[in-house]
Amino acid sequence: MNWNVLLPELTLSLGILILFLLDLFASKKHYRALVYASILVVFASFLSVFFVEHPARSFFNLFEVNSVNLLGKAIIYVLTGLFLFAMQDYYERKDSVYTELSYIPLLTALGLSMVLSSANFLILFLSIELASISMYLMVSLARNEYSSKEAGFKYLIIGAVGTSMFALGSAFYYASTGSLFFSEYRDENTLFLLSMLLLLSAIALKASAVPYHFWTPDVYEGAPTPVTGYISSAPKVALYFLMVHLLFYFHHLKQWLLLVAVFSLLSMFYANVVAYAQKSVKRLLAYSTIAHSGYFFLGLAMLEPQLQKALLFYVSLYAFATLGSFVIMSALEKKEGFSHHLLDYRGLYKEHPVLASLFALFLFSFIGIPPMALFVGKLTLFMGLVNSMLFPLALFLVVASILSAGYYLRVLVSLFLEEGEKKYAPTRVSGGEAFALLLCSILVLLLGIFPHLLLDLIRL
Amino acid sequence: MEQLLNIAIFMPLVGALLIAIVRQEKFSKILSIGISSVVFFIILYLFVSFNWQTPGFQYVTRFNWIPSLGISYHVGLDGMAISLLLMTALVFVVAFLWSWKVEDRPNLYFTLFLLLETACLGVFSALDFFLFYLFWEGMLIPMYFIIGMWGHERKVYAANKFFVYTFFGSVFLLLGLASIVVYGYVMTGKLSFDYLFHLGFSYPIWLQTAAFLLFGLGFAVKIPMWPVHTWLPDAHVEAPTAGSVILAAVLLKMGTFGFVRYSLPLFPEASKQFIPLIFFLSLVAIIYTAMMAIAQTHIKRLIAYSSISHMGVVTLGTFAMDLNALNGAIYMMVAHGLSSAALFMSAGFIYDRVHSYHMDDLGGLARYIPKLAVFLMISGLAGIGFPGFAGFVAEFLVFLGTYRNFPVWAFLAGVGVVLSAAYFLYMYKRVMFEEETLSEYRLEKWKHIKDLETHHAISFLLITIYALLMGLYPYPFVKIVEQTTKYVLGG
Repeated sequence: MNWNVLLPELTLSLGILILFLLDLFASKKHYRALVYASILVVFASFLSVFFVEHPARSFFNLFEVNSVNLLGKAIIYVLTGLFLFAMQDYYERKDSVYTELSYIPLLTALGLSMVLSSANFLILFLSIELASISMYLMVSLARNEYSSKEAGFKYLIIGAVGTSMFALGSAFYYASTGSLFFSEYRDENTLFLLSMLLLLSAIALKASAVPYHFWTPDVYEGAPTPVTGYISSAPKVALYFLMVHLLFYFHHLKQWLLLVAVFSLLSMFYANVVAYAQKSVKRLLAYSTIAHSGYFFLGLAMLEPQLQKALLFYVSLYAFATLGSFVIMSALEKKEGFSHHLLDYRGLYKEHPVLASLFALFLFSFIGIPPMALFVGKLTLFMGLVNSMLFPLALFLVVASILSAGYYLRVLVSLFLEEGEKKYAPTRVSGGEAFALLLCSILVLLLGIFPHLLLDLIRL
Repeated sequence: MEQLLNIAIFMPLVGALLIAIVRQEKFSKILSIGISSVVFFIILYLFVSFNWQTPGFQYVTRFNWIPSLGISYHVGLDGMAISLLLMTALVFVVAFLWSWKVEDRPNLYFTLFLLLETACLGVFSALDFFLFYLFWEGMLIPMYFIIGMWGHERKVYAANKFFVYTFFGSVFLLLGLASIVVYGYVMTGKLSFDYLFHLGFSYPIWLQTAAFLLFGLGFAVKIPMWPVHTWLPDAHVEAPTAGSVILAAVLLKMGTFGFVRYSLPLFPEASKQFIPLIFFLSLVAIIYTAMMAIAQTHIKRLIAYSSISHMGVVTLGTFAMDLNALNGAIYMMVAHGLSSAALFMSAGFIYDRVHSYHMDDLGGLARYIPKLAVFLMISGLAGIGFPGFAGFVAEFLVFLGTYRNFPVWAFLAGVGVVLSAAYFLYMYKRVMFEEETLSEYRLEKWKHIKDLETHHAISFLLITIYALLMGLYPYPFVKIVEQTTKYVLGG
């Protein structure tokens, strides 16, 4: 048995167990110490990624590592660490301190990193569930917040539908191929097709693509804001790394391109239109996530290394940008009576120029303006699509991104060009939040100017 | 020599960072004027030492930047680029001088303008598609905030319209860039964003057509060509004076520059194919928008429409497939940059003093601000192509060249150009003369308005001298421009 393969996961599990034990004896006043401890754990597992020998398989070939999924793991650990930095102060200010919050995000990270490495539908199912269930918990953990409970409940119910679709898909996969291992099965029969449809739908549901997006705006709005940032970043990264892996086993199906294109076009256009009707910035960004799922799905249309490389680059940087913007929103939410309505954001530039400018940076990067890294993602996606002879899809992407510019601009107008009426007490940005924001914005800018630092690491 | 160009491009960026750190009003103003003047002198030096006999790009810097995508930092100048660069640098000096009295958030104001200057200089110097696009989009954010923060009543609407229109065009441009880069990759197995690498290709006609349309949409919005021009009047009306000056003088030129630099040499067959379409759109622009200009009572809107009309002449000359016409078109870009800058400055000055852009509120100003009246006349004459000014040389060359291959089109366009004299003189009459239409109260108030101050006068003088120089002694300027047209037309 090759234990080295599991090094990051083992580090995480050990950390979780220790935190779990500590939590039994800890009271609320130890909350901060516990959170710092969990940051240490994530950092340790981030470092341990570098000591994994790859490519390798272990556990009867159930678990495999290679350079790509290790990269994915590293990104997920960084995101988790930044989230932990950012959330600590938020919960203290909101007076809803739960010591459990120190290890639940780690459980999510553990689940997500197992998602990346699994080579078998059984393990995949378990790890997705581990991640999902801990996310349901994170969404609902907020004292005296009715909306958070509602969001958690909704997330749980709709997530359960996804789970059952995934289970059924795996069962059909077993029925048609005779094994739960990912295998190169080149036959096209109804059973296999059905399994593909169910699996793709389940993942689309987790990745909030239309028509499985219904949970997204409500959950994003109801969840505590840093958690919204987390569930819109780390799981996305994991899911698309997984999809790139699965693509190899399903891309030969004739219906694959059609299905993926339908999911993606629906997501892009539906979300980019509906976003205009939103008054809450949180909901607006939820729709922006749905629209981005549409863009990302385009990267799965065909098996073409350039295209998948673009997708993985794009989604990784998108995760940092979206985490950054939700961290800004959570820093603002500490103000008394702040509700995330567009009107509450008016005149933010005068009040807090740094936060407003960073928010503008992230919003411009969502639009796809250089030199932000998401622009390179979009450009490489264009190149990949043209290279795979999917020119019409590239044109749709162009139209969708033009369509999207308007609603991001609305937020920008509120931030910079309008005067606020209400006077709030000034926000204090905690050290953790500042650090998370700094790292997110540096990554988004730096990798926009030197994208090869990350692109060259994605060796497909 | 090579380093000088890089220094000129990035010095404003460094200046912007300095201003953002120091945040002192006086410091911002002096630094901006200082930096833009240094940039101007560097470019003037490059212009003077530019060798128009050697073909190809000069002052080239090149090193690998993003090797895995085949992107390099590659800048260099040809005759067209250096001419536009000189005009850009001058107009920025003028814009900074003009903004000497800005009181509203001056630090941010000058930071944004300096960022804008880097982007503008970069667009004209870039020889790499990625770098070009970076600068092209880089000018979007500063301009958006300049219009949105320092504009007039409907500034938010105008800023958003500007952003969405321009972004609309540039995403198509991006897809076009991606397509030809991928085609190069498929054909040679080498991924490269380099302009010179792609210049050696001859693309199949289907790709030329597709890419021409995609590029063309991006450029057409920026120029702007009819029917995607509607953002321009709004942007101009709402923008602060210096913003209008840069917008009219530099930003509009990026589109026509793109046509000459990219569309013509990269897609020669497709360009020939689309001549009738481009000519039709140019002619509509020349005649229709000139008539629109006549119908305006808002002086800035009038000048904006006149810009569209003049840019129609540029696109006409660009696609006439003639050496003289193309020379004229590039000359026109510079000439129009100067004259429109001066016109917008006059309009801005009138607003500063009288607080209105509407002709109904104006009249008889020649008595109260006589120096401005002189300069408005000069800039107007420069604009309508009066002999002695740069615009005359430009229009003459364009029509001479176009007439050789397309006499009917040239005739129709020539008729349209006459209209420019009509709207300008009409505006001048309503603004400067016709004192009798005004109320006593208003005239009483105007007795005390101040005429041009020193910083205004210097700005006007700089532009007038340059326009006169280009009009009276066009030989070196045309020769430098011709260095570009020769390779563009394959001569």
